[in-house]
Amino acid sequence: MFPQRANLFMTRASSFLFLIIGILLTSLGSLSVAEEPTNTTRSIFLPTDPFSFQSGKGREVAITYCVICHSADYIYMQPPHSQIKWTEIIKKMKLTFGCPIPEESVNLLSEYLTHQNELAPLGSTPLHFQKESSPSLNEEGHLDKGKSVYTTHCLNCHGRMGKGDGPIGKMLIPPAANLTILGEKSDQELLTTIQDGRPGTAMPSWKGDLSPQDIQNVLSYVRKFSQESSKK
Amino acid sequence: MDHPHLHSSDGLTRRRLLQASLIVGGLSALGNFPVGAEPSSSITLPFERGRRPLVTFPEKRPLMMMTTRPPQLETPFPVFNESVFTPNDAFFVRWHLANIPSTIDLQAFRVTLRGRVKHSLSFSLTDLQEQFEAVEVAAVCQCAGNSRGFSEPRVAGGQWGHGAMGNALWTGVRLRDLLEKAGIAPDAKHVRFDGLDRPVADATPDFLKSLSLDHAMADHVLVAYAMNGEPLPFLNGFPLRLVVPGWYATYWVKMLNDIEILNQEDHNFWTEHAYRIPDNPCGCLEPGEKASNKVPISTMKVRSFITNIPDGASLNAAPQVLVKGIAFDQGYGIDQVLLSSDGGQHWKAARLGKDYGDFSFRQWETQIALKPGQSYELQSLAINRIGESQQLHAKWNPSGYLRNAVETVHVSTKG
Repeated sequence: MFPQRANLFMTRASSFLFLIIGILLTSLGSLSVAEEPTNTTRSIFLPTDPFSFQSGKGREVAITYCVICHSADYIYMQPPHSQIKWTEIIKKMKLTFGCPIPEESVNLLSEYLTHQNELAPLGSTPLHFQKESSPSLNEEGHLDKGKSVYTTHCLNCHGRMGKGDGPIGKMLIPPAANLTILGEKSDQELLTTIQDGRPGTAMPSWKGDLSPQDIQNVLSYVRKFSQESSKK
Repeated sequence: MDHPHLHSSDGLTRRRLLQASLIVGGLSALGNFPVGAEPSSSITLPFERGRRPLVTFPEKRPLMMMTTRPPQLETPFPVFNESVFTPNDAFFVRWHLANIPSTIDLQAFRVTLRGRVKHSLSFSLTDLQEQFEAVEVAAVCQCAGNSRGFSEPRVAGGQWGHGAMGNALWTGVRLRDLLEKAGIAPDAKHVRFDGLDRPVADATPDFLKSLSLDHAMADHVLVAYAMNGEPLPFLNGFPLRLVVPGWYATYWVKMLNDIEILNQEDHNFWTEHAYRIPDNPCGCLEPGEKASNKVPISTMKVRSFITNIPDGASLNAAPQVLVKGIAFDQGYGIDQVLLSSDGGQHWKAARLGKDYGDFSFRQWETQIALKPGQSYELQSLAINRIGESQQLHAKWNPSGYLRNAVETVHVSTKG
């Protein structure tokens, strides 16, 4: 199961490499005076989270708050904990580590995590390694459905108007992306980000949570933000 | 003796272990393990929820992935049988905060000394290499929670097997030399270290650790730029890492870029509230008991491991079977390693290997006789030069820190 994920990672890593090579060739070809890349720079490309939270009541809370700071495997590697222990852990995340989870969601999340913890098969972790089929670029996204997906999954970070100023987005480092200035990004780039997440940021991978059609729908909705801002 | 981990209801775990041991048993005559031979496979640690996929992260061979973000990767245990120094590409990885830089430009990178000093100073990596004496130390870097998954009863936290440790030859400059160049103010008391990693949510405390000034001035505390003769792997703290030999890895701040000299104790979260142990000689409690007082974790307890025979191995009977392993402590050095093949009833001394310094892994080996159709409980027990030895039975604390129990390798022979 895992090699597919590993391949995906390699594909992304190599496309990153091609991008760099592309930039190099471009600057050589045009004899530009742009700063020469030096051998003093080291970069890595971290894989995004191949795991996701399994379905269940309260999952929305987990994929909204827990994944801000850490991947879902932090939960699934745990030995069985009681709901009292999970509540204690959530409170530690809230009070000590500044997780913005509202007080009224703590109980729902502790129930969900306790249940997930019981569900997890012995000696294994629920894996979502399978590479989802890529959403087709030809399909037109449905704006109303996209708005509904956006409101449920994206608004907390990216804000109502997509400016990256949602209640959680504002407190992230780096902050949530401003979706009103994405005009130059290709659909493929944005689809990749929604599907696989962005390494080094709180943007999670949504491919286990959203169908290819929903990803297309939300992309169409997100596109409206930059179209509207460029009209002004 | 009761071995709860091996009586798991998860038959698969046990079976997998036996399969693994068969493969390893076949190759052990060659003195090698098939490490990383199956990058797409997984390793199952002998405790509940112990399955760890082997995943290749940048600059690393396939390692046991505990968590993806922030990355926490465990060294597969057979690696410790390869060599006294843990290869850089197999060295364990543990970050606290997910906001880790993905690019570092050495032309721009500086490490700064500031606070209670006469002059604030900044150094590039080249400055450190050209202006200061290069110093080497062989030292074990071990996570405070190494082996936490074996806690019984289980505790919350990173569920490591025994592979959240590694031994490397570290090269760098003495922290003391940097502090003296900056000029220490008369009221300086503590030194606080920060790396380039940052929290994701800004309400999360940044990861900072401190040492007393006396400790910071010790001969062997380094700002290291090389590990086993190579630049540090990115995930192990490139380009600079604090090296605090004998102390748990939480102090070994990665991607070190800020050194602040304080005139008081450090009150930041990670020093004052995290990584604390019960204030008693064993740092332990009875399960359910509350610590009346806690102190910061510091020096490592003496440990040893058998590295060439995995738990659950099935071996051929022979009058002379090689058993080898490693031992280490907080820096007094290993005086003796004893081996038992009957669960601790009888012990014999092992031969110690080459001494790479008091903070290093010390290899050891001995021979035992194995008769056909028998079961054996192999155990190693290390004693350091001030007479401290491992715990015969595991002690417990609610954070799963400080484990240094005698570990058991169960072996059976073919009839």
